[in-house]
Amino acid sequence: MTRRELLWLTGSGLVGGSALKASEPRNLSYPLRMIEGTVTAPNLLFIRDHFNEPDVSVGTWKLRIEGRVDRRYEFGFADLAEMPSKKVEAVLECAGNAANGSAVSNGVWEGVPMSSLLEAARPAPDAAYVLLEGADSGRLLQDGPPLPYSQLVPLDKCRDTSSLVAFKYNDLTLPKSNGFPARALFQGLYGMNSVKWLRRIVVLRAGDQGTVFDRSGMNRLYNRVTRQSGADRITRVSSVQVKSAIAWPTDGLKLPAGHYEIWGFAWSGGGAIRQLSISVDGGKQWNSGKLTSPANPYGWVRWSYEWNAKPGDYALMSRAKDATGSEQPLTRDPARKDGYELNWCMPIHCSVR
Amino acid sequence: MLALATDCASGLSAQEKIARFKQLDSEAETAMQQHRASEAVRLYEDAVCLVPNSARGYYGLGVAQAAAGDFLKARESLRTADRLQPATGMPLVMQVRVNFSLGDMDTLKDNLREAAARFPHDADLHTTLARFLAEQNLFVLALAEALRADQGSDDWNSKVQLAILENTVGAHEDAIQNALAIEQNHQLPEQARGAAAGIAGLSYESLHKPDQAVHYLNEAIQLDPAQDNSYLALADLFEQQQKYPDAVNVLKQARAHVPDSNAVLLALGADLVRAEQYKEGLEALRELLQKAPDTPEAYIAIADAARRTGDAAQEVGALRELERRKPDYPMIHVLLARAMLNQQPPEYQRILDELSIAAKKDPNDSDVYFLQGKVYVALGRYDQALPALQHSIELRPTEPSPYYQLARVYQKLGKAELAKEQFERVKFLESANAK
Repeated sequence: MTRRELLWLTGSGLVGGSALKASEPRNLSYPLRMIEGTVTAPNLLFIRDHFNEPDVSVGTWKLRIEGRVDRRYEFGFADLAEMPSKKVEAVLECAGNAANGSAVSNGVWEGVPMSSLLEAARPAPDAAYVLLEGADSGRLLQDGPPLPYSQLVPLDKCRDTSSLVAFKYNDLTLPKSNGFPARALFQGLYGMNSVKWLRRIVVLRAGDQGTVFDRSGMNRLYNRVTRQSGADRITRVSSVQVKSAIAWPTDGLKLPAGHYEIWGFAWSGGGAIRQLSISVDGGKQWNSGKLTSPANPYGWVRWSYEWNAKPGDYALMSRAKDATGSEQPLTRDPARKDGYELNWCMPIHCSVR
Repeated sequence: MLALATDCASGLSAQEKIARFKQLDSEAETAMQQHRASEAVRLYEDAVCLVPNSARGYYGLGVAQAAAGDFLKARESLRTADRLQPATGMPLVMQVRVNFSLGDMDTLKDNLREAAARFPHDADLHTTLARFLAEQNLFVLALAEALRADQGSDDWNSKVQLAILENTVGAHEDAIQNALAIEQNHQLPEQARGAAAGIAGLSYESLHKPDQAVHYLNEAIQLDPAQDNSYLALADLFEQQQKYPDAVNVLKQARAHVPDSNAVLLALGADLVRAEQYKEGLEALRELLQKAPDTPEAYIAIADAARRTGDAAQEVGALRELERRKPDYPMIHVLLARAMLNQQPPEYQRILDELSIAAKKDPNDSDVYFLQGKVYVALGRYDQALPALQHSIELRPTEPSPYYQLARVYQKLGKAELAKEQFERVKFLESANAK
């Protein structure tokens, strides 16, 4: 196994902090405190590439729909841009985003509902999954051939009217690093399913998905590995777990005594955020934070807490609860052996003098 | 419709109807030219009543209704015109305009798809649509139409437009590819090649490739020296790299070729100041203000030059003139107060008056209270300095300067322990790099 495979499999390569980082393929995120309001500016969108960014020309880009369908077809950017489109607010979070990490973005995506594209192709009655393929490709397995990045999503999720082939973010075209000219966008799912530089949608029948996915090696990524009774139980990571992050103060910050606003964001793939609690003493006592923006089901909510900071050392923690009652765990489940769904309440340390 | 046609045409022969139609059509056109849209609507209504199968009549009616602001009726008329004469794309183009005015983007997209299906190779039609959509800042749809136009034509105009739109939406590699195809074609007019080189330069700049950007912007200047945008873009690039003398050289070239450009004069003046060529800079800025006295950036640049040369009176004078012309210029009273503090001797009461206005305009600007505190310290009014500085700290607790002033106040008041505490906070903040 190569070092890169190891990083992918453990997810540790995705664990970002607040520092700006860049690598090949690119793994880049920006401190959440740089975000004004509730929407991540396009230049602050996090970037998580699996392979090198592909050269995609808007003039020659095509999206092909095929597989278990009556009508295979393809179309270009002009066709996509002129189809009836829809806007949805959605958080996009990397499945390996660290607790309090910045590999998460929120904004308004515009695109063509995947449901209408699929309906035009008329999926066969036995169709059950959709393989989404990007234009980026590389070698995932050391001895395997170079293959395009791809992900499998249940057909039902693709038929959800909020699932898009997105071509705009915050009313602008997608940044190149975030999938220009078009990408998949799924509300409530981790970012890896929202395949960038989308070029092929392949409808599969139940049972075929394993073969296709195994061949690419993608089945080895994004798995939840839980140690149970001495054995590893492996399940697929999909829905975004309830989570919050402190944008300010940042870890290690020194502050003079005074009144401050602790603030950050909270989100969940399960439902709108209903409650945000704050602890300044490492989780011994909790107080209610204020939700300062509308809590939409798949977007994030901005929150704040007025803090009268007196001299001392502090461990700040935030904890979110969503409409389904799911709440951030206080600690990481010790049975988890993978590096995904890191939604526990990690403290931010700062000192006040 | 038929009944109406019968009513309005009763007693007229076929020839008479046509003659009357032509007359009404001509009168309606005249009315449109003279901006009498409502009258044109009435005339066209009479015309289509006479000849209900006239696409021209319904098209004219739709245009007139749109000009009169009745967009819903305009859309219906234009649909009728399109149905009557489906071989021409103009009713569809006009429907796009009307649907934009109605804010009906779904129907507008329907029109575009229909235009694509019915006129896939009509480059002129798609170019017209692309231009209109770009004018409305609908850049993605404009790009879609420019792509369609490009498929139907080898015309360099279409390709330049496509490259501009690609650059605008961030498809920089595509913009470069299309722009260089034009720039390298020596059969094309130099003006076109210059525009293309300029687009390539801007796209390279966006891709953070400054060397290529400089190369192609210079190329754009050589090919079309009468176009000020290329000089300004190149100077801007040098400014970003803080190469002010290089920016000045480019803008001096621009002055020689485009002497009437105020944008060039402003950039030249500001860059001369940045390049510490104050005398020339001030001359350029004053020349600009003679031509365009409402250019706020020129006053700011003059104030900048004055501050750098220690001429506080001139700095205040420039800012005061800016305030007179643009009373709502952001932070103008804070800028004035700061400049007035450098005058000898400072007129503290006037500075406080200025800051009082600034506080009313933006009560959450910590600089206002910091400067108030400084003034009170200078005046020895420590009891007033204290709350001003404390308020500044409340508004921006991570900024060291107010703590320093506060420490000085405590020193003056003989409160050594409190002063020491504030000095320690200054050191703590400076060491913490707190933001």
